[in-house]
Amino acid sequence: MAAPIRVLTAVPICDGHDSAINTINLEFIRHGIEVVYLGYHRPVADIVRAAIQEDVRAIGISSYNGGHVEFFAEVVDLLRKKGADDIKVFGGGGGTITHDDAKIMRRRGVDEIFFAGTSLEEMVKFVHDRYGKPRGKRPRPKSAEQELAHRLTEIEDTKGKIRNPKSEIRNSKVIGFTGPGGAGKTTLIDELVLRFLNKDKKSRFAILSHDPSVIGEGALLGDRATMINSQNDRVFMRSMATRGQAGGLSPATHDCLALLSQSGFDYVIIETVGTGQEAMPFQKNGIVDQTILVMNPDYGSRLQLQKIVMLDLADVVVVNKSDLQRAKTAHTEIEQRLEQNRRSQRLVDTVAKRHRDPGVDRLFDLISVAAVYDRRNPKAGAHRAPLQKKRRKK
Amino acid sequence: MSKLGLVVESVDKHNQFVLDQVKRARTDKDFGRDLVGRWNDIKAKIPTTRTPTGIPLPRLALPEIDEPGEIARYLFSEGLPGEFPYLNGAYREMYLEPIREVESLEKNGHAKNGKAAKKIAPTEEPTRLFSGLMLAEDTNERFHFLTAHQRTHRLSTAFDGPTLYGIDSDADGVFGKIGEGGVAIDTVEDMVRLYDGFDLGSPNFSASMTISGPAPIIMAMYIAAAKRRFGPSVVPKLRGTVQADIFKEVQAQNETIFPIEPSLRFLTDMVEFTSHEMPRWYPISISGYHIGEAGSTPVQQAAYTLSNGFAYAEMFAARGIPVDQFGPRLSFFLDCGLDAEYIALARVSRRIWAIGMRDVFGAGPKAQLYKLHTQTSGRSLIAAEFKNNLTRTAAELVLAYMNATNSCHSNSADEPFTTPSEEWIRLAAHGQAILLEESGIFKHTMNMLSGSPGMKAVERAVETAILEEFREIERLGGVLAAVEERYQRSQIQNAAHRYEQQIYDGTRPIIALNKYRNGSDEDIPEVKLARTPRKKQQLQVDRLVKFKKKNAEKSKRALDKLAAVVESGKNCFPALLDAVEVCSLGQITGRLQEVVGRFRPMV
Repeated sequence: MAAPIRVLTAVPICDGHDSAINTINLEFIRHGIEVVYLGYHRPVADIVRAAIQEDVRAIGISSYNGGHVEFFAEVVDLLRKKGADDIKVFGGGGGTITHDDAKIMRRRGVDEIFFAGTSLEEMVKFVHDRYGKPRGKRPRPKSAEQELAHRLTEIEDTKGKIRNPKSEIRNSKVIGFTGPGGAGKTTLIDELVLRFLNKDKKSRFAILSHDPSVIGEGALLGDRATMINSQNDRVFMRSMATRGQAGGLSPATHDCLALLSQSGFDYVIIETVGTGQEAMPFQKNGIVDQTILVMNPDYGSRLQLQKIVMLDLADVVVVNKSDLQRAKTAHTEIEQRLEQNRRSQRLVDTVAKRHRDPGVDRLFDLISVAAVYDRRNPKAGAHRAPLQKKRRKK
Repeated sequence: MSKLGLVVESVDKHNQFVLDQVKRARTDKDFGRDLVGRWNDIKAKIPTTRTPTGIPLPRLALPEIDEPGEIARYLFSEGLPGEFPYLNGAYREMYLEPIREVESLEKNGHAKNGKAAKKIAPTEEPTRLFSGLMLAEDTNERFHFLTAHQRTHRLSTAFDGPTLYGIDSDADGVFGKIGEGGVAIDTVEDMVRLYDGFDLGSPNFSASMTISGPAPIIMAMYIAAAKRRFGPSVVPKLRGTVQADIFKEVQAQNETIFPIEPSLRFLTDMVEFTSHEMPRWYPISISGYHIGEAGSTPVQQAAYTLSNGFAYAEMFAARGIPVDQFGPRLSFFLDCGLDAEYIALARVSRRIWAIGMRDVFGAGPKAQLYKLHTQTSGRSLIAAEFKNNLTRTAAELVLAYMNATNSCHSNSADEPFTTPSEEWIRLAAHGQAILLEESGIFKHTMNMLSGSPGMKAVERAVETAILEEFREIERLGGVLAAVEERYQRSQIQNAAHRYEQQIYDGTRPIIALNKYRNGSDEDIPEVKLARTPRKKQQLQVDRLVKFKKKNAEKSKRALDKLAAVVESGKNCFPALLDAVEVCSLGQITGRLQEVVGRFRPMV
């Protein structure tokens, strides 16, 4: 079966009308499409950067606040400039885009504009018909970033059959984030990225983020929409759907991560989907140098902690949302639980949603200073055993 | 328990109180007799007017009841218009024309045309028209056009995208958005141009500004502009409204620029300032409109608007502002669509607000009023065969006035595809005039359409459903906690999705869209669009660059001072007032975001 179609959807800058796009996103994923959702109030540069990194087939833009003729054209032009004109652009705007506007927009390179009254079925059909055929020969990548994005697509779409031909020498520190859904992993990573970006003005980062596929193989890959600091030219972000694999990662994660860790980033951050108690996405001595388990204070009774496998494996345990009432109890209980392990695990309390949170600062120090991985001696990490072996659940 | 839980209890208690009074009126003879006496007094004092065709009508219509229990139910559960709990209206008389003499009719047996018994000053038009386009001077011209024939000048201002997001017109990638969908405001100088020629200190003038994320900054610019034109003494005389509703932005409209808590703090700073210095100003318009437009059900709209209102009241009270000082300066804004709930949505809202404010917050009568601006539903209008939108809007207007809204905006039929053009704005305004001035539906008698069994049935169903929403929000830890858990957002999104589904599967008929459709997809009308020319957009950028250059040194100092005050936790509104003199909107937003962070969107 062919790999799912990946599209990126967004609402332009200074426009918060996300009602239509939310409905369309849901309809797309119900029909097997993987949607990287960038959110509302998004500038052209963010949209084009994300589309190239995510290597989507097309960008769908929902615009209601006017200025669409210029905005769509700027997206098309910037894609061309970056050598990514195999990424197509379509969109709509209810009644705000007139037929005359649409004519101009098509002339300037937009594939299709949907008018008010277009059914959701028509839009789904359009995406399947227009962007569903396998890609032909790809144009020569114009940048290292684009080349990386193309290779990630090859790995993902062939389910890891294409091995990474590069040397096994890694040059990035790999940090893994896992934890239950709603614990605030995405926000926490974004806050850490902000600190990384501010600390070293030359450093570059990669983020490999995961969201679950739903039945029918579509997925809503929505982390970018809330990761405001990570939409930056120094951050390469890739969103992956689990495509049927349980355990919080995708069948292609291992190879994608391996490739990213050899691509010159200072740090590679990997985020799993929200995981259950038994999940063990990062194994000891895997490709991940440092594992962070992000917990919500509301995990239930103390007994539940005994069942969380990652508490044994994580290098750092974070109790996020430590402004919640139960946070102090959670801290004490987790601390006791970690003591049983007799390892040098660290426990940090954070409120990731708070600007300049001191807890996030402490976590940042642990991640950026702790020499789990020595950059001057890249081979030190290269011998590590691979990530958890994948078993595709039937 | 948050105050919202107490509000639920207070409404339940009040409903029990009503039942007790009904029972007592039927069993306690003296009490019953007193009630009947009061009822007869009320009826006797109602003046009579007559219609142009000559029939006499009471100024206030009351149900034909004479049994003490029913009288008790009416007086305690609904109240007369202008009386607690204000179900029938915030004021005793609304929309009514001056009384026409009745005696002359009785003496002569036929009507004498149009002779009023006594000269009553004409009441204010409740019509409001929302407007904003291109640059400040263009909107100013539109304002003068709109108010040319009005006694009162009530201006309702729409801002363009960059302004709504606190961004300057010279920021990257916003050029095409300048002046689109509203007026472009970057500096205090734009604000001076925007209201040029209007007497800002006059009781006949008020300005409403539809902006929330950067509301305190825009508000400071308005005050600064007024001071530049009329001197500092104008400040306490300023009348108007700034929307400033952070909760609904986070729940529905997505125009938030700072994280929720600092946004609420800046809002409270502004409310504290206006409560003391600008007693005639409405510093917040608690808005359900955008919740409705984002796709909520009518009940969700009413419930979230009310609960947001109670959360603000709790915050302002916690800041130490007396409830009788801020309470009368809160106003509300609802959407009115075509669903059955709209028959009584605002009526029920008014009742719940009054009970909650009185019994939970200890508010006096003026702070119990749910003062309401209504706008007809934009979402209900469609592009296909768009002239039908006139009918939709007309029906919605009837519903809005049946709910005794204090003011109303009627949408232009061409809104689904463009910024409204003058032709359709005129028709929208005339729709209101036809309803209020030409037809006899609202101008002779208060309660003309109130109190039908159907309306009562809707009231009961809506009130129950609103209280159930309150309980759910309370279970989640109150409004702020529920917002952070994105409860309201996901409820609204679900409702929006269902609405779309219903349109596509035909269970929600939209005439000329999924029913009685005539013609092809190509029937979108050819209209002249009010687009902002590139030359104007460039002019706005040039002016801004000049302003920044002129104030380069001063703006740096003002921003440093502002940042220091924000860090200190003191009320930052006075520092904002200084900053807008020399800084642009984007400069201030940017500096504040450095201190308090940026809003992280919820999806």
